[in-house]
Amino acid sequence: MADAEHFDKLKQSIIDQDEDQVLAAVNAALDDGVEAKAIIDQGLLPGLNVIGEQFECEDIFLPELMQAALAFQSAMVILEPKIKEQGAEGEKKGKIVLGTVKGDLHSIGKNILKLLYETSGFEVWDLGIDVDLFQFVDKAKEVDADIIAMSALLTTTLVGQKDVIEALRDQGARDKFKVIIGGGATTKEWADTIGADGWAATAYEAVTLSTKLVS
Amino acid sequence: MRYVELLTEAEVRRTHEASLEVLETVGILAHFAPAREVFKKHGCIVDDETGLVRFPAEIVEKYRKLAPPSFTFRGRDPQYDRTIPDDGPIVVTGSSAPNVVDPVTGVERRATSADIANIAHLINELPGFDVFSISTLADDAPEGQFSLSRFYPALKNCLKPVRSNTPNMSDLQQVVELGELIAGGREAYAERPCINHHYCPMVSPLTMDVDSTEAVMWLTERGLPVYTTVVPNAGLTSPMTLMGTLVVGNAEFLAITVFQQMVKEGTPIIYASLPTVADMRTGAYAPGAIETGILLAAQAQLARFYGVPSGGYIGLTNAHSNDAQAGYETGMNTVLGVSAGATLLNMGGLYSSLMAFDFAKAVVDNEIAIMDKRAYRGLEFSEENLALDEIAAVGPGGSYMGRKHTKARMKTTAVLPRLANRDMRQQWEDAGRPTINDRALAEARRILAQPNEAVWDGELDARIREHFAGLVAGDATPLEADTTS
Repeated sequence: MADAEHFDKLKQSIIDQDEDQVLAAVNAALDDGVEAKAIIDQGLLPGLNVIGEQFECEDIFLPELMQAALAFQSAMVILEPKIKEQGAEGEKKGKIVLGTVKGDLHSIGKNILKLLYETSGFEVWDLGIDVDLFQFVDKAKEVDADIIAMSALLTTTLVGQKDVIEALRDQGARDKFKVIIGGGATTKEWADTIGADGWAATAYEAVTLSTKLVS
Repeated sequence: MRYVELLTEAEVRRTHEASLEVLETVGILAHFAPAREVFKKHGCIVDDETGLVRFPAEIVEKYRKLAPPSFTFRGRDPQYDRTIPDDGPIVVTGSSAPNVVDPVTGVERRATSADIANIAHLINELPGFDVFSISTLADDAPEGQFSLSRFYPALKNCLKPVRSNTPNMSDLQQVVELGELIAGGREAYAERPCINHHYCPMVSPLTMDVDSTEAVMWLTERGLPVYTTVVPNAGLTSPMTLMGTLVVGNAEFLAITVFQQMVKEGTPIIYASLPTVADMRTGAYAPGAIETGILLAAQAQLARFYGVPSGGYIGLTNAHSNDAQAGYETGMNTVLGVSAGATLLNMGGLYSSLMAFDFAKAVVDNEIAIMDKRAYRGLEFSEENLALDEIAAVGPGGSYMGRKHTKARMKTTAVLPRLANRDMRQQWEDAGRPTINDRALAEARRILAQPNEAVWDGELDARIREHFAGLVAGDATPLEADTTS
């Protein structure tokens, strides 16, 4: 099979959101000697781009976007070690420290964002839920993050987002990181009030926003 | 009246069994260690490493049966006390929105303690509302008084039962202290606690948090009124079938109910929920979705099977203004709920999926609430109400308009709406085509221009203000005045 044919198959399997088909296409391409990096860049990512476009115009729904992203992730489990072996690691788009703020145990939106970040080429440190403000700050410093992304679903835990920004200010580290917020209880106006660098209504928009912030 | 029933008796039983199976085989993740101890001590199987608690069916059956059949909300004035299901349906405002639509400028902004004072006054006067669940947060709260800045203006300006939550134990203890000051001492407060606590310790799917669980446990131990709401969201935190969502929510309800009974047997509870279906196009939260009403209706049936009162957040909306969407989402869902026998409706005053309070929306919801209560009364079947003598007396071709029988019932048989327009079109045009929002806002202005008789006496206020230094003013003001400062 020619490389181009493999790329078509890979792309289509992502568009079909079919994990088994994706893995089969990845293995077939590897068997034919297609390089891991090419499999991603010329096969899987073009598929994800189509998925993104389809999602934006509501041709497909969120569960379908998720399935495509999950299929991509399982392909990466095979491909990533090979890329490392070949020393062909591409530049990551940026480093994200992600979490749901103190007192808040809601993880689903945050987890969707994590998945979308990873499939969009970001490196993510997910601190989980109920994250203390200093955990955000310390981790961001430790990994030299580009962006701190905080979620809050409960209106009573919102203030945790403000606390992190204030702690960064107190430590003179506010300019080191972009801070973005999201989650059911947040608004653009709240983001402006607390001096965040951005707000996104959905996980998908958060990735677009982050891409803009790091470029 | 006979309630609308969406499930057969066998289906109700099967739903219950399915919930037991979930609790026994899947279990609940309990993050608060003392709660796991309670479960362990009372016969649940607890894995402290993972935090997983599994519930043998007979344990659930034993403890859920200890829940009493009614729950009482108490106000500062006992004449406003309400017990469900008997006094139901009772209508509660939506709560804890961070924002308010400014009644003067029409622009959404952060809510303050002054807004809470005004909202408390408004809810005290609107007859459709029974319980004031503190509608917003207070952005002007002084350091260390996050909850106090909400409860103080609420309680000061409202004689009806006040309900809300607190984010942590020190806030909760402060709020209970406030209640004790109002009641005139700890014992008097224990006898008539005028603060009604509410939490969401269950985070779907099947997880118990730390902070709210701790608050529920603390209050339950002390015999102070507290109930909880479960919030499954189909497609995100529960299966994408209404039955699967009902089962997850029901398992969560059983877990928290059993927990409260284990902490203190006979603790009054409510089967309350906010079930929704996430919008699969974007994942958007949709508390005004019609599926919420369907699920609340099924839940009312389950609650009758368990012998406990039920209801929840029904009649919320995603709409951002007093438009048709706001009206139909609130109206359709609440009518589904009451027709199925739900007796607690958390419905008043919020836009944008609980994000912003609006004075005019609260006034519209008051009218919807009055209609819901009328719907719940149903046909009032009786021999007398068949009015056979009256039918014979008027005879064919007569008129009932001038009759004593009519006069005696003209104010009670039908709702007399204050907002709904029943004029002819020309009259409406001549009046300048007022919208429902115009009429509702005018009504809010009229109410808030009156002095508030609900405010407590100066001596009590001085005692409270001395006890909590730096407290917000908490006074209601006419709506024309600037409430932002």
